[in-house]
Amino acid sequence: MDESATRLLQRIVRRTPTEKLKATLEKWDRLTAAQRRSVDFTEPKWALIEKLVDACKENEFKMKHITELEMILVIENPNQGMWYTFQLVDPEDDAQSVDLLQFQEQFKSHLRELKRNVSVKIKKHTDQAVWIRIAWGDSFSRPNHLKPTYVVHQLQSPYIFVSSLTSKLKPLLLQALTFSTRHLAIKDANLSGRKLTAIRDLLMKEYQQVFPTKYPSPLAENNQTLSNLNIEREHAEASANRHRMAGEAFGDGTLPELQFAVYKMETKFKDPTNVAMTERDEPFRCVVKFSSTNLLESLRHCAASGLASTPVTPLLSSIPLKGRNYFVITDNAPGAASRAQQPQI
Amino acid sequence: MEQTNASVTRTPLDSVAVKRKSKSRSYRQSYRSCLGVASRLGLTPARRLTTNRKAPESHNITVNPEHLALLVKNEWQLAYVTPLHQFRHTQLRSYARHLSAFVVAEKQQGLAVEVSGLQNGFKASMTVVQGMSEADDDPETVLIQIHSKPLFSRPDDPQKLVWSGWLTCINGNPEYLHSLPKDFTCLPLFVYKGAENLSSLVKSWVQRTFDCCFGPLELSQTSLQWLAALWTNCHAESNIQHLRMLWTLPSAPPLQVTYAVDPHDVWELWGSVRKGSWGDGAGEARWIDLEEVASFMQSLKSHFYRHFKLDLSAGILNQVSTALGSARFNGRIKISNSAYVITTLTLLTECALLKMPI
Repeated sequence: MDESATRLLQRIVRRTPTEKLKATLEKWDRLTAAQRRSVDFTEPKWALIEKLVDACKENEFKMKHITELEMILVIENPNQGMWYTFQLVDPEDDAQSVDLLQFQEQFKSHLRELKRNVSVKIKKHTDQAVWIRIAWGDSFSRPNHLKPTYVVHQLQSPYIFVSSLTSKLKPLLLQALTFSTRHLAIKDANLSGRKLTAIRDLLMKEYQQVFPTKYPSPLAENNQTLSNLNIEREHAEASANRHRMAGEAFGDGTLPELQFAVYKMETKFKDPTNVAMTERDEPFRCVVKFSSTNLLESLRHCAASGLASTPVTPLLSSIPLKGRNYFVITDNAPGAASRAQQPQI
Repeated sequence: MEQTNASVTRTPLDSVAVKRKSKSRSYRQSYRSCLGVASRLGLTPARRLTTNRKAPESHNITVNPEHLALLVKNEWQLAYVTPLHQFRHTQLRSYARHLSAFVVAEKQQGLAVEVSGLQNGFKASMTVVQGMSEADDDPETVLIQIHSKPLFSRPDDPQKLVWSGWLTCINGNPEYLHSLPKDFTCLPLFVYKGAENLSSLVKSWVQRTFDCCFGPLELSQTSLQWLAALWTNCHAESNIQHLRMLWTLPSAPPLQVTYAVDPHDVWELWGSVRKGSWGDGAGEARWIDLEEVASFMQSLKSHFYRHFKLDLSAGILNQVSTALGSARFNGRIKISNSAYVITTLTLLTECALLKMPI
């Protein structure tokens, strides 16, 4: 086992908590039974590292085996690092019939044409997604396995999630992806976050949705006793309305955990009491960033408790509706309300 | 013309609040109650919320540039100090010796073996910083520094600065300063930075030696809004690069809103809010009214509300920052531009004076 593979293995073992390491090694299933028995997971980390390095050396593993281990680890724990979303557009006629083998071959060969010395590993995880791990090198150096890029292509959807990609290599990767999936273009979907599961659930709408209904609760009895039940009834009705509208805008139950949303605003300043600013031609430029441990939950709570006026403004409800968390807001036609606009790539 | 503006809005000495058209009633009520409290406790009416301030201008400060550089590049924590009893600016060297001995003794408490004095020796120094105070009544600023050798250093290595603090009073209220008995020196603002254990040691030494007491100085919402307006006002002279405000809304989980405005646009908004003459550039020093600050913040909040239907008043303003400095709700401040040190410290001195329990 050469030195770079050893280094990668050491780094993987060092950075992974012991319980996750145990589960991942079992899934990897490349160590012999004897080796598995000899590894004692209650030992300190440095002892574990030494044992595992020795075991892998015994089995004469190469870099590809170690990268397999890393890939299993990342697939099991995808909620780390920063993920950015892209969307494929303009499918060609045969885009639907691309099968996995064809995609693999075309992607690998196209990427190798664009950049020499890349190491690509593709794995299909359940039936939902295809995971790709890319280690980049160039004509003078071997692929750097310590800084791989991970790409997840959600099947049956045009969405692709990418993590750890430098801006220099971005066009190459996007071109290879577009070509091998038989589409004509790819664009930035303006959705980013730390938790892959959250942004994926948001886009695939895999959380409890609330659909607007005309009669949300069973019709009330007509002969209610009066007195101060009226006040409670007024408040209850308003509160129920708020909760309903908040649910319709953001969803019900557990919501996907987004961390932030950024709005770049370039709308005009309108205030009837401030004539000077209202008559300005230039927009009032500002950038607003919302952040929270669970952004959608916070926004739903704001709407339900009355901190935000209901009906929820389309700027905020666009986050789950369109599956984005970066918006550029401009005024369009004179007098029209501001709406979200997609920026050019 | 500026003078008549100022006299109309200056708070009167008796406790009748001036009836004026105020856009937000909460401000009027809050300072009326503050006046009420002051007169009830029989305090001098000198300490009350200032409703107007001089617009900040860049000053040519005649301070030692090293000291200024030290002040500008760090983020400081704030505290207030009650007046010091029998503090002499002439005896700083002996005070410094006492402080060094105190710090060393406290550090060695509990150690059975006497550690050689030079190894971790802390050496305190106190110097007067000339040129910072503007008004004649202000006592001179005192800078306290503690140097020490890092743990594994060789004997030749120079000592490093591990803790520094400033006791200062800039443009303190002259009526209050005059009302103090003769032996007391009022340096109400304590600006410090360093390890927490050293800070508490210095504070306890000062408390014991000069019979005073310390307390944390948090910046109220009004002070943060003043800072936002004052810094925006400086955009004509030095580019603030952005006005960034951080609000926290009480949802579950709490929602943080960072609202960053383009400097030119926010400067025009500030200009449109100001009453009186505007646009003749930097001329004589002009007064800024509390009402103007209030309507400036209200305009920013209403622009936000128009888009997001979220009222920022429901939350707390935690932090205000521009290229000239940043201030946090929990009492941390960073002054990035040395030209505006005096105005910022004036506002902070006033906050400290207001927060003091005496």
